[in-house]
Amino acid sequence: MSSEKSPRQSIIDGKPAQTKTRDARMGEGADNRFNSPLREAFGTSPFILTKFDQFLNWCRGSSMFMLQFGIACCSLEMMHTYAVKHDLDRFGSGVPRASPRQADTIIIPGTVVSKFAPRMKRVYDQMAEPKFVVNMGSCAISGGPFQEGYNVVKGAEEVIPVDIHVPGCPPRPEALVYGVVKLQERIANGESSPVVVKPYELEPFGDLEQDEVVEKLTEQLDDDDLVMRYNWADSP
Amino acid sequence: MNPAPLEAVLLPETISELTGLGQFGILGDMIAAFLAAFFVGNLMLAMTGVAGPWAKRKITAAFTDRIAVNRVGPFGLLIIVASAVQLLAKELIIPEHVDRPAYDLAPVVIASSAMLGFAVIPMGSGIQLADPEVGLVFVFAIASIASVGLVMAGYASNNKFSMLGGLRAVAQNIAYEIPLIVTGASVVIFTGTLQMSGIVEAQQQALFTVAGIGIPAWFAIVNPFAFVLFLAANIAELGRNPFDTPEAPTEIVAGYQTEYSSVYFVLIYLGEFLHIFLGAAIITTIFLGGPTGPVLPGIVWFIIKIWAIFLFTQWLRSALPRVRIDQMIEIGWKGMLVLSFANLVLTAVIVGVFVA
Amino acid sequence: MSLEEPQPESTYVTDEGVDYDALESLLGAHVLGRETHLNAEAFVIRPDEVQEVLGLLKDEAGFDYLSCVTAQEYEDRYESIYHLKKYGDMTREVGVVVPVPRDDPVSQTAAPVYKTADWHEREAYDLVGIEYEGHPDLRRILLPETWQGHPLGLDYDQDKPQIVPYREHVNPIEGDYRDSDSDTMFINIGPHHPATHGVLHLKAVLDGEQVVDVDPDIGYLHRCEEQMCQQSTYRHQIMPYPDRWDYAPGGLMNEWAYARAVEDLADIDVPEYAQVIRTMGAELCRMCSHMLALGTFCLDIYGDFTAIFMYAMRDREKLQSILEDLTGQRMMFNYLRLGGVAWDLPEPREEFFEKTRDFLEDLPVATQEYHDLITSNEIFQIRTVGTGVLPPEAAKEYGATGPVARASGVDMDLRRDDPYGYYDELDWEVAVEHGCDNYSRLLVRMREVEQSAKIVEQCIDLLEEWPEEDREIQSNVPRTLKPDPDTEVYRGVEAAKGELGIYMRSDGTAKPARFKIRSPCFSNLSTLGEMAEGEYVADLIASLGSLDIILGEVDR
Repeated sequence: MSSEKSPRQSIIDGKPAQTKTRDARMGEGADNRFNSPLREAFGTSPFILTKFDQFLNWCRGSSMFMLQFGIACCSLEMMHTYAVKHDLDRFGSGVPRASPRQADTIIIPGTVVSKFAPRMKRVYDQMAEPKFVVNMGSCAISGGPFQEGYNVVKGAEEVIPVDIHVPGCPPRPEALVYGVVKLQERIANGESSPVVVKPYELEPFGDLEQDEVVEKLTEQLDDDDLVMRYNWADSP
Repeated sequence: MNPAPLEAVLLPETISELTGLGQFGILGDMIAAFLAAFFVGNLMLAMTGVAGPWAKRKITAAFTDRIAVNRVGPFGLLIIVASAVQLLAKELIIPEHVDRPAYDLAPVVIASSAMLGFAVIPMGSGIQLADPEVGLVFVFAIASIASVGLVMAGYASNNKFSMLGGLRAVAQNIAYEIPLIVTGASVVIFTGTLQMSGIVEAQQQALFTVAGIGIPAWFAIVNPFAFVLFLAANIAELGRNPFDTPEAPTEIVAGYQTEYSSVYFVLIYLGEFLHIFLGAAIITTIFLGGPTGPVLPGIVWFIIKIWAIFLFTQWLRSALPRVRIDQMIEIGWKGMLVLSFANLVLTAVIVGVFVA
Repeated sequence: MSLEEPQPESTYVTDEGVDYDALESLLGAHVLGRETHLNAEAFVIRPDEVQEVLGLLKDEAGFDYLSCVTAQEYEDRYESIYHLKKYGDMTREVGVVVPVPRDDPVSQTAAPVYKTADWHEREAYDLVGIEYEGHPDLRRILLPETWQGHPLGLDYDQDKPQIVPYREHVNPIEGDYRDSDSDTMFINIGPHHPATHGVLHLKAVLDGEQVVDVDPDIGYLHRCEEQMCQQSTYRHQIMPYPDRWDYAPGGLMNEWAYARAVEDLADIDVPEYAQVIRTMGAELCRMCSHMLALGTFCLDIYGDFTAIFMYAMRDREKLQSILEDLTGQRMMFNYLRLGGVAWDLPEPREEFFEKTRDFLEDLPVATQEYHDLITSNEIFQIRTVGTGVLPPEAAKEYGATGPVARASGVDMDLRRDDPYGYYDELDWEVAVEHGCDNYSRLLVRMREVEQSAKIVEQCIDLLEEWPEEDREIQSNVPRTLKPDPDTEVYRGVEAAKGELGIYMRSDGTAKPARFKIRSPCFSNLSTLGEMAEGEYVADLIASLGSLDIILGEVDR
């Protein structure tokens, strides 16, 4: 880089962070994964349904099918977590399914970059509710050591909501086991994470605000092409 | 046909006698038959329930130096409940542009075709729903309906991986159906009957005696060649390792079941295990002397035998690489078919000579 | 080796090295000037004569290996540097520098001469912005196709918004046919797929079950490693990044690549004791990495997480535990320092030696188990023997290195051909197979594990007997390292996947002006089309597994 300041410094010194997109989406839609439709239909919580919900949550917490999903360095430690010594399957959550339709939990094991984020979002969308996300490693949490990279999304939470963060670079398998078990506990207790910060969404190209970049790309893209619009300086 | 001592009465008859339903005429018989079918169906479902979420994991874990589920309930057994409820309670996703009736029917076809097969299997201790004269043909016919289900699932899912999986399933089923049935026919040459109870009966007499213990004339012992052929063809027919090309997780994601979630996935998953058990039941009946055995009651022997075969399939799954689809078809048409016909002719000659 | 090589090259290569004057006279009027890089001399040529010059060097002087293409932007010009080597002798190097003006950055492509230049030039176009005239397919390779600007150029503004389309998977049944007359089917394998070992995207065209065309689409893990290194200081900040290129973990080997390049750049000596520790650590990493290759390759062929994968993981656990004792981390070691290593072996040393010895003793048993389960399994043999064939000529054309090249019968190994560390003092062999297929690639890796074990054993013997007063782990290196301005170096080491090269140019500050990583996986992956086209889908997956790519290194 030719400039004297590092990109991070230039953000801190420069214009205030634009948080329009983030603010617009923050706090939207309370997480209702744990409410059964029956319960919503009744409006109140009759005893039998409460018990039923408890039972259902216990089932969800006790048995989780993982999505076979590897991104970067952390996926190696994730494999070790499934494998011989650490054996995540002991906790009833060690069945990797290749198809997102059949998985409950997705572990994001690595750096999410601009080209991959829309695809990851799509994989997440393909999973059936209720679905849970474990962020593994600093890259998935914040971009980690690559946070300043021009191509790096600063954390998976910019794209999809996340339930549990497991810090480390990469986290040891023990840490991941702890994270997953913690998630299971939360599910079993019916607690959910309020995190819905998602600055980046897939949207049709035609809906974007007109600006320089959009004008340049009008020839390449159709109005109904799905796109993800990144603003590197905007994200935290 | 000699009445076999084991299957003097079928289960529906027993029930109608015990409950006194028989006096209500045909309606009573029907209710008794339903009750019997309910009992057998639940027995098999319970077994697949144990096998699917729990035993499979434990067995694989044992092969790979792991422990697998041990936190939920004793030996992790409650995972069966948890997994079942958890999967059933998930969102059922119907992707866009799927071929609606076919997409919905496929899991039902896959699961029910296996269930129907158990109707004619003698499980010992008087548990057999029906014993038609064409029992063996019936069970082969019913089991092969599953391939219709597979191709429906593959085609209707609107997914290229499913499509590939469905096509592979059909190619494979057709290629292995013929050797399977031809090998089965070689058993019929011995027994002279297609009736399941007759086939079991034919395996009762002692073949020879070693140190005072009579070795029964199980066809697996009489004709081990046919047994091995049948076992291999059966595993290929079921699409288990090393012939699991229709699913092939690392190649085509999950094959025909890629798009299925929730209840439909449970049905397909159950259907797969039911088919393994049905295959095991057929093998048990025509090669391993059915539900007979010393000391223990017939049903226990039956369960032991089918679980042994299930264990065998899981062993293969852990240890063997998958063959490629073209190699698989080649083995089927050029190898198994020829061998099974050779076996048929050989058996016919031997039986002809002995009878003569 | 030398018998097969064409005769005329002896004119240009003497026992001491490359005779650059003779080369200059060969190139004649094409040469505009000469530059001296620390690894080799480089000729400056005109941008419209690239093919002619490279053709001459390849055919007449025998430089058959295009190791790397580095592109960079100066204040007044763009520059592409072609680093050429010989498969026969890796120490014979020459550079070709092609400067182009800033206002019209068009250079002739080298793709017709070396096939590997195809991808390398696409990367140069993508990140730096040089256009290559006559290139068969000049698209962005790492960044999304709609990206604005070239991020490693000098005037790139990182804060500008970007738009990334999501088009390829919109409706899987739509656009099934690229060509409406044919019966082929277009299928996306990846970027999320169980067999892609990460986030690789294969655009495959199938005719039934057979692969007609496969086009690897990479960049789903492009983490801007080069940018990260360019904004970090030599002395401390860069070292953690190499761990994350090849995270298999090839950690210590990657760190060594960086350390070796800087040690050449700044003329730093490494104490012998540290070299032995480095050698041992690198070989432990290599074993670990090959175990992963073995496990995941078998995962692709066996399906599901079955016994062999778990056994490989079991052995990796042991290795990672040893490496953790040595370096303090399981995967991201950050253990090497410029001029040595971070610290000495863990105390008590005997325990460490004993643990490592135990592992080495158990290894033959484990290897035998692998051979029983995998290589002597007949189904495995019919699946892998004769599939995914990569002829040696093609391997050379695509710049394949490491086990992939060695399995195609190309006898090259930088540890032997361009010795560094302590390798030339030790007794070991280069594993070469001539089968060119998936099976050979697996065999090469398994044999290399055995050789690595041999090296580690010798290192332990050496370390055990090393006199206590001589245990110098680090030489004296200035706190802030500022190499002389405009020094350029390109250095490679033999990482688990092949030649991992680093090009660095210093500008007199504490940070490199250009940091370019030549990743072995990047070149190895480009051979996939050669291997898989015309084969079955299952073999495409198997070939991909046998290449043992690590996406972190492919995309960087």
